Amino acid sequence: MNKKACKFLFFAALVASMATLSGCRSRNPSADMYDDNMYGDPLIGDVPLNADNMGLPMDGDRSLFEPVMFAYDSSQVNPEEASKVEAVAKHLNKGKAQGVIVEGNGDERGSREYNLALGERRALAIRDYLISLGVDPSIIQTKSLGEEMPASMGHDEDAWRQNRRGVFAIY
Amino acid sequence: MRRLFLVGCAALVSISAVAQRVEVRKSGEGKISINLASYRTGGDTASRTFLSVLKADLNRSGYFTVTSTGAELNVAGSCVSAGQLKADCQVYKVSSRQRLLGKSYKAGSSDARGLAHRVADEIIYAVTGKKGMAAGKIAMVSNRTGRKELYVCDMDGKNVRQITKDRSIVVGPGWTPDAKNIVYTSYKRGYPNVYMTGRGKPLSSHGGLNASGAVSPDGRRLALILSRDGNPELYIKSLRTGLLKRLTRTRLGNEASPCWSPDGNHIAYVSDTSGSPQVYIISRNGGRAQRLTSTGSENVAPDWGENGYIAFSSRIGGRYRIAMANPAAKSLRVLETDWADYEDPSWAPDGRHIVCSRTASYRSSIYLLDTLEDSPVALLSGSVDWFSPACSP
Repeated sequence: MNKKACKFLFFAALVASMATLSGCRSRNPSADMYDDNMYGDPLIGDVPLNADNMGLPMDGDRSLFEPVMFAYDSSQVNPEEASKVEAVAKHLNKGKAQGVIVEGNGDERGSREYNLALGERRALAIRDYLISLGVDPSIIQTKSLGEEMPASMGHDEDAWRQNRRGVFAIY
Repeated sequence: MRRLFLVGCAALVSISAVAQRVEVRKSGEGKISINLASYRTGGDTASRTFLSVLKADLNRSGYFTVTSTGAELNVAGSCVSAGQLKADCQVYKVSSRQRLLGKSYKAGSSDARGLAHRVADEIIYAVTGKKGMAAGKIAMVSNRTGRKELYVCDMDGKNVRQITKDRSIVVGPGWTPDAKNIVYTSYKRGYPNVYMTGRGKPLSSHGGLNASGAVSPDGRRLALILSRDGNPELYIKSLRTGLLKRLTRTRLGNEASPCWSPDGNHIAYVSDTSGSPQVYIISRNGGRAQRLTSTGSENVAPDWGENGYIAFSSRIGGRYRIAMANPAAKSLRVLETDWADYEDPSWAPDGRHIVCSRTASYRSSIYLLDTLEDSPVALLSGSVDWFSPACSP
């Protein structure tokens, strides 16, 4: 109970800080920041997704926006990464694209099925932030790739850090 | 949140698990020696394959040692190939001349392996009264073609067949209770959807994640993980009406890997609401979940066997090992394995062995573990990865 309440308060505080931070570009964070789940897990999931994914665009342009990086075992969009999501929101809100597929990825540690859920939660955390920035939920698709599509094939901390990411595929 | 720590101290709890095991061990008194030296085959490949596969199956079963001199049991009969394969098989107790089995079996001439697996299980049942595993199948995933496709092999790791040609990613296969079909997650239409072999349309294709599909023992329901309401949660879908029932509401966490209890009344699954992934049990009608595991830094990939034990992968001291817990007896046992990572356990049809993946030097292969005393056996290994095994019921 306590932990939950703590997490909720933290999330509330985070949302508030994000609101004040939005727009200003954050400095490059130190690599250590991603080693711990220092921001806890976000409370997400009150906006339903599209009823069916059959017929939705399956792919998009991944070269337009930088991926959002995540801490180990965390699905929290860290404040240092928020500007990346904001850039996508701006793009979509200006009507420059039809929509976005947010691809959630994880590192190779942990079970494949658990990582599939974790990847989805990362994509959903980004989605929630996009929605809070005014993006129409129906043009945001989430796709978890779990640990199946690593960006780096290595097996060390550096590779794992690169693989814990949310990728924007713009369609 | 009320947490029921069913499992406490590993040292203490192993006692009750051992009590049940001892019985098996004593009745077998180690191994039963079985002699097939007088069994006749033709000069053809099929009938000789039959005999060598039969011997290997009996050895692998854990109950027998195949010998060619003085044994407790004698197998007489012959296997002949004449258009089709015909195997006569009589099993005698040497001491009392008592006949335990006397039957004749037939199969197509190309199915010598299948025939041997059937006969092996019949001999195991006739002698021990226990179900064998030889005729079972293993579904698994491999990157052999460069893509992750679904494969099936026999319980001895032979007869490997590629099932999907989706050219995308296959994740987490599991069998239907009739052992005829496999439910799996595939990205062949871009998004992770749940499919069943022999059926073109997906079983589930909601927006977001559709994964970890597991068919209930009565074949009527599918437990699965969906994110359709905004967060990955555990659901049950009726395979007749398509109606969904949501079982978990954990907006701070993930659910994964559901599996059904043998009676179909409960589901064991993974949730990370405590901060790390752990195994929980929930009624199929929903309600409060009970936490099963508390030892190890994470506990994932549960498989609830017919024997009542839930096998899962437990991260202990930085590596994954296979553990088994009995929720009714509140017992926990971690299987003895080497330094490699052992993951994704699946109960073999005999309820004695566990098939799992073993990863060493970033290469995954399929292994057979004995929950009694036999050493682990490599079933499938090589220069590609084999993982996520699931045994047919």
